[in-house]
Amino acid sequence: MADEIVFDLLHSEIINYALDQSKDNNDKKEVDLSVVEYIGFAAGYKIMERLTREWPRFKDELDTMKFICTDFWTCIYKKQIDNLRTNHQGVYVLQDNAFRFLNNFSNGHQYLEYAPRYVAYTCGLIRGGLANLCINSVVTAEVQSMPSCKFHIHVQRT
Amino acid sequence: MTIHNMYIFDRYGTLLYYGEWNRTKQSGMSLEEEGKLMYGMLFSIKSFVTKISPLDPKDGFMHYKTSKYTLHCLETPSGLKFVLNTDNQAQGVRDLLKKIYAEIYVKYAIRNPLCGIGEQINSELFKTKLDAFIKQTPNYAVRAS
Repeated sequence: MADEIVFDLLHSEIINYALDQSKDNNDKKEVDLSVVEYIGFAAGYKIMERLTREWPRFKDELDTMKFICTDFWTCIYKKQIDNLRTNHQGVYVLQDNAFRFLNNFSNGHQYLEYAPRYVAYTCGLIRGGLANLCINSVVTAEVQSMPSCKFHIHVQRT
Repeated sequence: MTIHNMYIFDRYGTLLYYGEWNRTKQSGMSLEEEGKLMYGMLFSIKSFVTKISPLDPKDGFMHYKTSKYTLHCLETPSGLKFVLNTDNQAQGVRDLLKKIYAEIYVKYAIRNPLCGIGEQINSELFKTKLDAFIKQTPNYAVRAS
């Protein structure tokens, strides 16, 4: 679909751009994806504003997470999160078995070393969405075998 | 009915991908050399056909046939060439090539940012998807040799 491919291509070019920038700034092999993560944060923050327009207040944190897994994810990735787990102490694990940005990459371990680049934006997206709902968190991603991807959300309690 | 092998060239003649299924006779040269030879021939045929055609050629060169096999060629507007060798009984290979272009190449090579433009396709997923696609077509059957 046309709208999807525009988003996909823009996403991959933003990553390429960020990689180029970080290459200029330091010669280290480290890849700086904080810019990409921040772009995701801003987008997530704004999109959450729009999505929850018609919604009543969420009951609790878990309710909010469920919203992320269903409506939020469907809006961006046209599918729901396949699995949500939590330890009820502020750690949530969202698993997507066919993560869209990794779907066309490989079906196993090829290109695994490049996977972190393509999940940074989404981590920011989740963090931004939650931030707008007054949940401060740290979101990390884990890719063991493509195209499945796990997002770990650690809620920061103050 | 059999599908022998397949070449994908870009518009500069780079061999992007080579796939082989039922090829009993090897050319005896390196793949790189073979690709160059194949592209050279296609290039010549294309210009030959456009020059010699008494009418306005719409699609240009599409296939040629020998006593043993048929070579089908699909050229996209962007200059990609999909070349498929089959036996002489194969039907509907043009649609098959169009499908390979639209559903396999675009999806798993173009939409994979890790596949560089104008570089050989190394993606394992592309290879498996193409293999699966070829094997489920009605034209695919291993000829008893």
